[in-house]
Amino acid sequence: MGQTFAQKILARKAGLEEVEPGQIVTVQPDKLLTHDNTAAIAKIFREIGVERVARPEINVIVLDHVVPAATEGHATNHQQIRRFVEEQGITHFYDVGEGICHQVLPEKGHALPGYLIVGSDSHTPTHGAFGAFAAGIGRTEAASVMATGEIWLMVPHSFRVVVKGGLPKGVYSKDIVLYIIGDLGADGADYRSVEFAGPVVEEMSIASRMVLCNMAAEMGAKAGVVEPDEKTRSWLTGRTSADFQEVFADPDATYERVIEYDVTELDPQVARPHTVDNMVPITEVAGIRIDQAFIGTCTNGRLEDFRVAARILRGRRIAPNTRLLILPASREVLLAALADGIIADLVTAGAVVLNPGCGPCLGAHQGVMAPGEVTLSTANRNFKGRMGCKEAEIYLASPAAVAASALTGEIADPREFL
Amino acid sequence: MSKEFVFRGRAWVVGDDIDTDMIYHGSYLPLTDPKEMAKHALEYVPGMEDFVERVQPGDILVTGKNFGCGSSREHAVITLQYNDVAAVIAESFSRIFYRNAVNLGFPILEVPDITEEVETGDELEIDANTGRIRNVTKGIEVRGTSLSGLEKEIMTAGGLFGYLKAELQAEE
Amino acid sequence: MSGKTIIEKILSEHSGADARAGDRVWADLDLAVVRDFGGPNVVLEYEKQLGDKPVWDPQKIAMTFDYQAPAKVVLVANNQRACRQFAVKHGVPHVFDVNAGIGQHVLLEHGMVLPGGVIIGTDSHMNLLGAVGSFSTGMGTTDVAAGWATGRLWFRVPETIKITFKGEYDYPASAKDLTLFLLSKIDKSKTIYKSLEFYGQPIDSLSLAGRLTLASMVTEMEGKIGFITPNQSILDWIGERAGRSVEAVLPDEDAAYKEEWEFDVSGLEPLIACPDNPDNVKPVREVAGTRVDEVFIGSCTNGRFEDLKVAAEVLQGMGGKVAPHVRLVVTPATTEVAMEAVEAGLYETFIKAGAMVTNQGCSLCTIGHHGVLAEGDVLVSTGNRNFRGKLGKGSQAYLAGPAVAAATAVKGEISLPE
Repeated sequence: MGQTFAQKILARKAGLEEVEPGQIVTVQPDKLLTHDNTAAIAKIFREIGVERVARPEINVIVLDHVVPAATEGHATNHQQIRRFVEEQGITHFYDVGEGICHQVLPEKGHALPGYLIVGSDSHTPTHGAFGAFAAGIGRTEAASVMATGEIWLMVPHSFRVVVKGGLPKGVYSKDIVLYIIGDLGADGADYRSVEFAGPVVEEMSIASRMVLCNMAAEMGAKAGVVEPDEKTRSWLTGRTSADFQEVFADPDATYERVIEYDVTELDPQVARPHTVDNMVPITEVAGIRIDQAFIGTCTNGRLEDFRVAARILRGRRIAPNTRLLILPASREVLLAALADGIIADLVTAGAVVLNPGCGPCLGAHQGVMAPGEVTLSTANRNFKGRMGCKEAEIYLASPAAVAASALTGEIADPREFL
Repeated sequence: MSKEFVFRGRAWVVGDDIDTDMIYHGSYLPLTDPKEMAKHALEYVPGMEDFVERVQPGDILVTGKNFGCGSSREHAVITLQYNDVAAVIAESFSRIFYRNAVNLGFPILEVPDITEEVETGDELEIDANTGRIRNVTKGIEVRGTSLSGLEKEIMTAGGLFGYLKAELQAEE
Repeated sequence: MSGKTIIEKILSEHSGADARAGDRVWADLDLAVVRDFGGPNVVLEYEKQLGDKPVWDPQKIAMTFDYQAPAKVVLVANNQRACRQFAVKHGVPHVFDVNAGIGQHVLLEHGMVLPGGVIIGTDSHMNLLGAVGSFSTGMGTTDVAAGWATGRLWFRVPETIKITFKGEYDYPASAKDLTLFLLSKIDKSKTIYKSLEFYGQPIDSLSLAGRLTLASMVTEMEGKIGFITPNQSILDWIGERAGRSVEAVLPDEDAAYKEEWEFDVSGLEPLIACPDNPDNVKPVREVAGTRVDEVFIGSCTNGRFEDLKVAAEVLQGMGGKVAPHVRLVVTPATTEVAMEAVEAGLYETFIKAGAMVTNQGCSLCTIGHHGVLAEGDVLVSTGNRNFRGKLGKGSQAYLAGPAVAAATAVKGEISLPE
């Protein structure tokens, strides 16, 4: 009988012919991703009574959450991580300034097709865009992976999401995934592995596929995946010398659900406060006053995102009393945007360009809101208090919609600006 | 505060170049409530970390040269004022601290070499009008700059806005 | 009666009185500025004292958000919001929001700072505008609130010290070294409250950036203001931005100076201020080899294009890579500086070298943003203060010029540029 992507990859990792959903397997991940929470994980690790990391070569540590340090507490945390890295001989360490872990991991060739990646961050499924099985885990689990080099996983049931049709102007992968989350609900894919497929996904850039997989976390999925193709291979060229084996779902695999979407008539989408599935077409919320527009994050902080924003903002000026924050996902993205002239365009339009990292997304610094304020963001979460203020509101949309809204100072339909 | 500028209180002695980050650290600048500001007085002065727990109303801060150098933050004066510190006597003040104190009606006196005449815990009697300071504990007396002129007028009015009140009301 | 110094002339002109050193005068203000630090306190004080009373002249009020831009905590976000709301209510047009940069520099670039003017602001380094012959001075919140209400303020007319430099020096010595040299030579008990006037060939040949460096550290000399007479090219630069011709205020030939000092800066070498005071100055060579954890290039003292350019050239010339254990944080002073740096390719140089280039503003220098230090960390900064623990409890800071800072970042220890 055919196997899904998740079954095949987990069977292979477990050294089994095949596995069934619900089955528990013990596997050795290819990569363990941790970030600013590494110090906390290291503390648990030591409490277990283990002194050495079992397989330091699988550790990838990226400092991204509050970079550079915004408080003595953050500075001390980073210092402890640097000491841990040195003491344990961990070589894949990316200190402050490299970018967001979910961007740096693939850029540095650590997210490869057929890999099993676990990470102490809920948006680890992002790496499914490269044909990896990537799942977020807790800190204690991460500590135990450090200690043993292994992890137990339950083989998930799978959804196959097939996206068809012609993507209209002003509508992007972000709108598609927001629509899907709105349709399925924030827990609609709990524990599932979600395979994104169909002609629209095949047409998508790697960056756009990362948006889908990144936001699989917001439908509750354990993993999101787009199977690798020529685009994947070409993107990875020159980034790794490691061997990897591509994994594909069998054509006759059994899915819990197969869901088809035709996006031909899709409007730009907006998630309203305070849940990601609180979805409406942008036309229904157009005109809502915003204080802050935010383009960036592990969801939409890549070159194509800033390109479309620059296209809308070039030669124009953002609205008075509105802030526009630009947060490139990595050093590589920032350099590309600089070379492209995009950064100059955005700054001229009135944007604040922040250094690569998580920035204001999680409310630690660089754009915390005041009570009563509204942000329209390209991020993946709009929970109450997410950006640091419980009395503020966050709406989510595509980079084009956020750029258009920065110009008008209110939520605006990007189609009118393209 | 005594409008007559005569005080008696216990001394706390600190050294030279006590900057505004020591008096009131930059990390607390966002605070706007004086009562909250009061919780961090002198927190970064070595040896004075628990000052706010030990200070008594009417205590007098005695400092060396260049007290209050650094930032323009008025918090540095307010944090002392809201701990009911009666006055600061310094060998010299940094200029913005000086202004801020005057504008808030907070008594300050310049007395050369005062830190050599006073130890922490000494009982002091001050008459800012004459600049006379008596160290009751040690039985000695020193003289500093007396309060006079525009600064005294502003301080007597309780601060700059008290002083400007007549003018501002006249405009209406 | 003897002639007048620059400060006596400016305060006479603005008070209508014959202002002489030691006098108390009420002077008219040309501009009263608040930052996001101090600003909300001014707004609160103003409203507490005066309620809804209109401000004296909304055109002569400016707000510059540079302290924590964009906000790190809700409190600051709310403080900035309070300022914006006050500006809207009172029709204050000059709000330079979180996308603008360091206030004094922004005002200068916008032609709002004229030689001979009187400007107050909630920033102890307001007086760096003495670099163009403006009497600008840092004030507390009560002063500025009163200034907003009445348009004038009391001043103690300071005595003046005339400081004349002579001699020549070569790169890598810079305006910062001349400044540190002066800091190490003067007795602060003599400069306290004083107006300083700087003269001599070494001053005449300083660029605007160099003049700003020197004038910005008059605060650390405990001076009230340090005047540098603008030359024709600087007057033209300001005039073009102000949209009118401007003139320098010169002292009378028989002005009465409290003291006149002369310093020979022949053969000046790169200097560095060691912990914990800006006047603890030593030749760089004496502390060369001291290991550092972080380097900061920016601030109102050394955040101009010229400063970044020197740093980028040194970085490039010494191999183009920051030492692996060092964090290099680069912050342009303003948007204009940032754009120049982008166009000149400096961003690329810095970012490729491993630096983090933050958004324009005060950044690390005002604490709480962009690279706070952990206990035991050592910083080399181009800023103006290195008080104990200012940038993180238990950390140490050295102050130097941009060339030394860049060389130090490459070597990972305090170094002279090669």
